[in-house]
Amino acid sequence: MPEIEGSPGSSMHGVTGREPVLAFSVASPMVPTDNTAKFKLPVDSEHKAKVFKLFSLANPHMRTFHLSWLSFFTTFVSTFAAAPLVPIIRDNLNLTKSDIGNAGVASVSGSIFSRLVMGAVCDLLGPRYGCAFLIMLSAPTVFCMSFVENASGYIAVRFMIGFSLATFVSCQYWMSTMFNGKIIGLVNGTAAGWGNMGGGATQLLMPVLFEIIKKAGATPFTAWRIAFFVPGWLNLIMGILVLTLGQDLPDGNLGALQKKGDVAKDKFGKVLWYAVTNYRTWIFVLLYGYSMGVELTIDNVIAEYFYDRFDLKLHLAGIIAATFGMANIVARPFGGFTSDFMAKRFGMRGRLWNLWLLQTAGGIFCLCLGLVNSLPLAITFMILFSIGAQAACGATFGIIPFISRRSLGIISGMTGAGGNFGSGLTQLVFFANASFSTAKGLSYMGIMIICCTLPVSLVHFPQWGSMFLPPSNDGVKGSEEHYYVSEWTEEEKLKGMHQGSLKFAENSRSERGGKVASVPTPPNVTPNHV
Amino acid sequence: MEVPAGFLVVYLLFSCFVASSYGVYFSSLNETIIVTATPTQGQVLKAGEDQITVTWRFNQTYRAGTDSAYKTVKVKLCYAPISQKDRSWRKTVDLLKKDKTCPHKIVARPDTASNNSFTWSIERDIPSGVYFVRAFAFNAQDEQVAYGQTTNAHKSTNLFEIQAITGRHVSLDIASICFSAFSIVSLAGFFYMEKRKAKASQQK
Repeated sequence: MPEIEGSPGSSMHGVTGREPVLAFSVASPMVPTDNTAKFKLPVDSEHKAKVFKLFSLANPHMRTFHLSWLSFFTTFVSTFAAAPLVPIIRDNLNLTKSDIGNAGVASVSGSIFSRLVMGAVCDLLGPRYGCAFLIMLSAPTVFCMSFVENASGYIAVRFMIGFSLATFVSCQYWMSTMFNGKIIGLVNGTAAGWGNMGGGATQLLMPVLFEIIKKAGATPFTAWRIAFFVPGWLNLIMGILVLTLGQDLPDGNLGALQKKGDVAKDKFGKVLWYAVTNYRTWIFVLLYGYSMGVELTIDNVIAEYFYDRFDLKLHLAGIIAATFGMANIVARPFGGFTSDFMAKRFGMRGRLWNLWLLQTAGGIFCLCLGLVNSLPLAITFMILFSIGAQAACGATFGIIPFISRRSLGIISGMTGAGGNFGSGLTQLVFFANASFSTAKGLSYMGIMIICCTLPVSLVHFPQWGSMFLPPSNDGVKGSEEHYYVSEWTEEEKLKGMHQGSLKFAENSRSERGGKVASVPTPPNVTPNHV
Repeated sequence: MEVPAGFLVVYLLFSCFVASSYGVYFSSLNETIIVTATPTQGQVLKAGEDQITVTWRFNQTYRAGTDSAYKTVKVKLCYAPISQKDRSWRKTVDLLKKDKTCPHKIVARPDTASNNSFTWSIERDIPSGVYFVRAFAFNAQDEQVAYGQTTNAHKSTNLFEIQAITGRHVSLDIASICFSAFSIVSLAGFFYMEKRKAKASQQK
């Protein structure tokens, strides 16, 4: 069934991997194809693509996909470009451990705010300009690295570069203007995972660049500055590509986008209220801080850790560190897949258990990573840890769409910000302190992950239950409709604003697990037929 | 999925806690070499410009013949405690193969009986910090057997400072400004051009 027409981007539906991962396309009877439109891919009535053809560059849909994830990838490369070069930078700038830690905190903090603002920017200027503005304005901040001479300069520049991580929002927003709601989950999940890979790719790229430039004759303290030009150029090139090759809508019309945006606009204050007063939102903000947050933290510290602890050469430490971030290519979608898989048998309870298992496993492997003294074991535990943490990210967004229908966008945004906040906090507490080593910091972080994942057991849906409690027996309170419609007041219901939620509630009955067929229709709810 | 992995983890952890602890310990070495260097207490030297002349010889007050085992002498530039503070990657550890106090090599020479000296130009990748000079004598198995240093046992006297190069270059600064300007100007240019085109097509 086609989604209710809402402003493009309001449907952050399944911001990753939740939608049946095997949904590469939507069949025609479900979503009617618009045969009058002349696009390379079959499209629906809004001209959004119904098919996700990965290796195509078809304009505009697949081209948008590739521009979008590449931009996000580039910002990850720029934000974490300093991390594998820290052993050189710390000598050049005479940094202490707290300087390095604070710079790591700074690099992830900026985007807490920029991600929240980016949604509004996309609404005003469209995702294409939102993305282009951000990457082209952050290119100068990357080039600024050549001026840095001391700790405060270093921290300031890393803070400014970190703002560019908000391309996550423009990326997801842009996809939702181009792809049908039924496949948007897979599309967004792939884009997010591949973008995150940038954090791994940079650990590989920067040391190699550094070595090449050094071989060409530069001294180390100059070579790393020259190496920083490359991420800056990547930002520039991607910005120009986005501006010249991209378009906001399948039909290319920015004005129409703004017009459409006015049609189904909800009141921001109300949407925020329902997001903030739902306790599940806050639990997931915390949880994501210890899956995504941990991933960002590791991107910042792991290369230096391998360099120092195991006396490796810079580029070797970089290669090992890169495998952590690169695991995203499969690990994050894998988490979404296991979430869907568990949901088929056990419903939402399965999803919650799946998330708890993956994230706790990640925590255990992180604990081990800090404890071992042998290199092969450290690498093994790091890879297992990366799979656990990244799959947990995918699994988190397998549950988030069900927390609220009305406030999905804001909850997704808050959760994303929570990831960055968790990273900043973790780096501040465990890695900016000279009083314990990085190895101890990793172990403590592992313990923290295990503890902060426990609250997922508190997430209870009356209609589906929680990890330890069954769903409510009450015919009314235990229905999906009751849960989703309770976000609307009586007046809003009279205006019919809750219709989307009703439809969503009906579709979400699959979260009951294996026994869907025997569910009685709850009383007092107007059955919603299209 | 997790339970068997848990047992494996515990077993492996156990075997890994027994870290290899063989090797030469600094506390086992005697200071049988007298080392002097040209920088005076508190002198500030510039990396890439200044030089250090190091002189070393066997301390005759020790039994003659002690130095017959010395095959090579390696002279190194070492961090003073103040430069190691809050920088765990420069930590002093008694087990020499894990010790990070002296990462910068000045010279390695086969051991000779007479006065040895070497003039070293401070390289451009030496970081800013407070330093002293230490020489290690190695035997035929390439193990440390003795040492000497320009400072006292507490590493508090006769320390000198080196100022590193910044690594910055005017050409880099200019390139950086040019590319940044290009980025901002092209973005503004695109935006302006598209707005103009939109206005023009609206007026049509």
